[in-house]
Amino acid sequence: MEANSNIIDGKQYIVVKLGNEQYGIDINFVDNIVRMQRITRVPKAQHYFKGVINLRGEIIPVMSIRLKFGLEEDQITNATRIIIIKFDAGSAVGIIVDEVKEVVTLEESNISRINSELGDKNGFLNGIGKHGDDLISLLNISSVIIEKETN
Amino acid sequence: MDISQYLEIFIDETKEHLQSLSDQLLILETEPENVETINEIFRAAHSLKGMAGTMGYKRMQRLTHDMENVFSEIRNGNMKVTANLVDVLFKGLDALETYLSNIQESSDEGTNDYEDIIKQLNNILNIGLGKAIDEDTKVLEVEKPELVLPTSGEELKFTSIKILDYEKKAINKAYEIGMYAYGITVYIQEYCILKSARAFLVFKALESLGEVIKSLPDTQDIEDEKFDLDFSVVLLTKESMEKVKDEIMKVSEVKNVVVGKIDDTNTEEAAEEEESKITEEQELDSSITSTAKASGTSSGNNTSKQSAKPVVNRSVRVDIEKLDILMNLVSELIIAKNGLVSISTTDSSNKNESGFNEQIEYLERVTTNLHESVMKVRMVPIESVTNRFPRMIRDLSKKLNKKMELYISGEETELDRTVIDEIGDPLMHLLRNAADHGLESNAERIATDKPEVGSIYLEAYQDGNNVVIEVRDDGAGINVEKVKKKALSNGSITQEQADSMSEKDVIDLLFRPSFSTAEVISDVSGRGVGLDVVKTKIEALGGDIEAKTKLGEGSTFIIRLPLTLAIIQALMVELGSEKYAIPLGSIQTIEDVTQNDIKYVHSKEVINLRGSVIPLIRLDKVLDVEEKQEQSENLTVVIIAKGDRLAGLVIDNLIGQQEIVIKSIGKYINNNKIIGGATILGDGEVALILDVNTLV
Repeated sequence: MEANSNIIDGKQYIVVKLGNEQYGIDINFVDNIVRMQRITRVPKAQHYFKGVINLRGEIIPVMSIRLKFGLEEDQITNATRIIIIKFDAGSAVGIIVDEVKEVVTLEESNISRINSELGDKNGFLNGIGKHGDDLISLLNISSVIIEKETN
Repeated sequence: MDISQYLEIFIDETKEHLQSLSDQLLILETEPENVETINEIFRAAHSLKGMAGTMGYKRMQRLTHDMENVFSEIRNGNMKVTANLVDVLFKGLDALETYLSNIQESSDEGTNDYEDIIKQLNNILNIGLGKAIDEDTKVLEVEKPELVLPTSGEELKFTSIKILDYEKKAINKAYEIGMYAYGITVYIQEYCILKSARAFLVFKALESLGEVIKSLPDTQDIEDEKFDLDFSVVLLTKESMEKVKDEIMKVSEVKNVVVGKIDDTNTEEAAEEEESKITEEQELDSSITSTAKASGTSSGNNTSKQSAKPVVNRSVRVDIEKLDILMNLVSELIIAKNGLVSISTTDSSNKNESGFNEQIEYLERVTTNLHESVMKVRMVPIESVTNRFPRMIRDLSKKLNKKMELYISGEETELDRTVIDEIGDPLMHLLRNAADHGLESNAERIATDKPEVGSIYLEAYQDGNNVVIEVRDDGAGINVEKVKKKALSNGSITQEQADSMSEKDVIDLLFRPSFSTAEVISDVSGRGVGLDVVKTKIEALGGDIEAKTKLGEGSTFIIRLPLTLAIIQALMVELGSEKYAIPLGSIQTIEDVTQNDIKYVHSKEVINLRGSVIPLIRLDKVLDVEEKQEQSENLTVVIIAKGDRLAGLVIDNLIGQQEIVIKSIGKYINNNKIIGGATILGDGEVALILDVNTLV
């Protein structure tokens, strides 16, 4: 990456908490962050889809990252948020996170590539960012949301 | 002049004319003497030419111009319609369609000149008129020279051709290498009808002798017949004056030719006059521009214009009448609103209560009507898709060497615009299948006592909230046993499955992707090429497809499509704590059924309702709704229909009928298509819409 004199050097990530881990989501994909609300269950959907919500007249499917990652069921608390991810016009998905912490700017030099020993077979992660003392797993959001194979 | 604003109109109208051309050509093929048809084609070609010219699409203009020429001759009885001609005309039509689609995408017609078609057309024209043609039929490339005012009353009109510097150079060079520069003025007979065609032939003759470097008026105008009875050119050639004259005189309907050498003196003269003519030129130029050409295109450089790419919006043509109805409804809506306002401002009393309800009812009526009217505006008759099929079947018939006839009915059936746009390809696919694989060869048909000419039917009709399109043929039908064997041999099904499969199940195999590969097909009965693609497409439109067949008698593909995509009437039902919407169009009745009424057939629950046995579907099981504790003695059953098949959905509670707006639940959730969408209820809650077609 070119080290330009521009202020924004590197990418901005929204840091969220899932259990004890911190994950970063590229801010370019984030459309909105909303509070937990009533989710209408969709029968026969993939198990990690909790259902759909009504976001100002739009129907948006909501998935649980925890279930997708094989973690235990979400505990809905006051801090639980739904992050609305938008790739392009008309295809939004909400993902449930335990807590939204902050927005950080990570420079390329602070991101290390995923070590194959970590066993990220699904390609859910883009890399690991270092922010102060914290480690942030950077989600490859498109591979998290888009089902590669239906089984 | 900015022509982009006319682009949409141009595209719409061109489409109409092309369609009319296609229709008329089909008629012409069977009735080559039909004068009315010939006139109609001539008119369509003429309008197309004019429109293309106005928009500055020169290639398109030239092609239509040549088509028009041919028909002008036919109209005048100078030549006859031949099968060959119709073929070439169809090719021309395809070329025009290509131009149009290019224009639609990029507002540029593209660079293909379709010289071969033009050549063929001209050959036919010449042969038809009994003239020999030069092997060199290369059509002149238009190089735009500057316009010069024609001077009248003079025989040697070519002297008024203004020779520009670079042309002077060319002339000088020509003399150096032993060529001559001649000025030629050609006079055409007064009674000549197609002057431009004559001029064209003259040009062709000249091109075979040498090089035409300049003409008056310019070649484009000559092509457009924008000259009186004479035109002049400057020719560079090695031939003698006499030879040139003879060649031109060979073209019929040429009255006289004047040839003269061009030397330095008269170029000089022209140069002197140049100054004084400029202003007049400009005037002339602008008048021509406004009559026939789009500005900027007369420079002859087609590619440079409109580098910006305006993407043409999809538009729907709407009857003024429909718009008036909409307008009326909107005014009623305003009145209804005012009624509510006035009630809320007056002091409340008991009387107001009923007045309020009245207004609400009124409002409801208006919005329902408004919805209907808006949907009607979006509706397009299916004709806009089916009208290209006769042509396709004609081509297929020739290509496959099978005699076949396409019968279309119900073209006036209306579908939502978005559906219309998408339905064309699947239908085409089914028709191709029917023509290619469905119908037997003519010999086989005769051998099995069938009429030699195969029939393909395309029928569209409305059925409740659905539109049904049937593609039927009277061919050999699908050999179910063969399909089964094939499926067994390629491992799609097991022997066990094969034994228990009904005929319908077997036919459904054809819609599986694995059956779409070619080597499977030709062995079976030919069906299945891309049927899975057809199915996917139709399901994406919210419809479904099924096949019926009778061995030896033909097969039918039935497509069922939702009438509208946006707003429907639905029955809201409750299952446990969840709410679902069932489209009203597929509901037949609602029945109260006691536990005792439930019978078992094949260990499946059925009820006997007024003589028909209807399978019961426990919706709570299908949808994995949490089970209720108490089982009530009476069940509420919603009877739904899909075509002639019925099923009863067991639900917990009826909420009522409601108008709902259908929204997509996005592409990420994968739910076996049971859920057709979602809607937002009055309280903001989301209710899912059941696609009952997948349940029956």
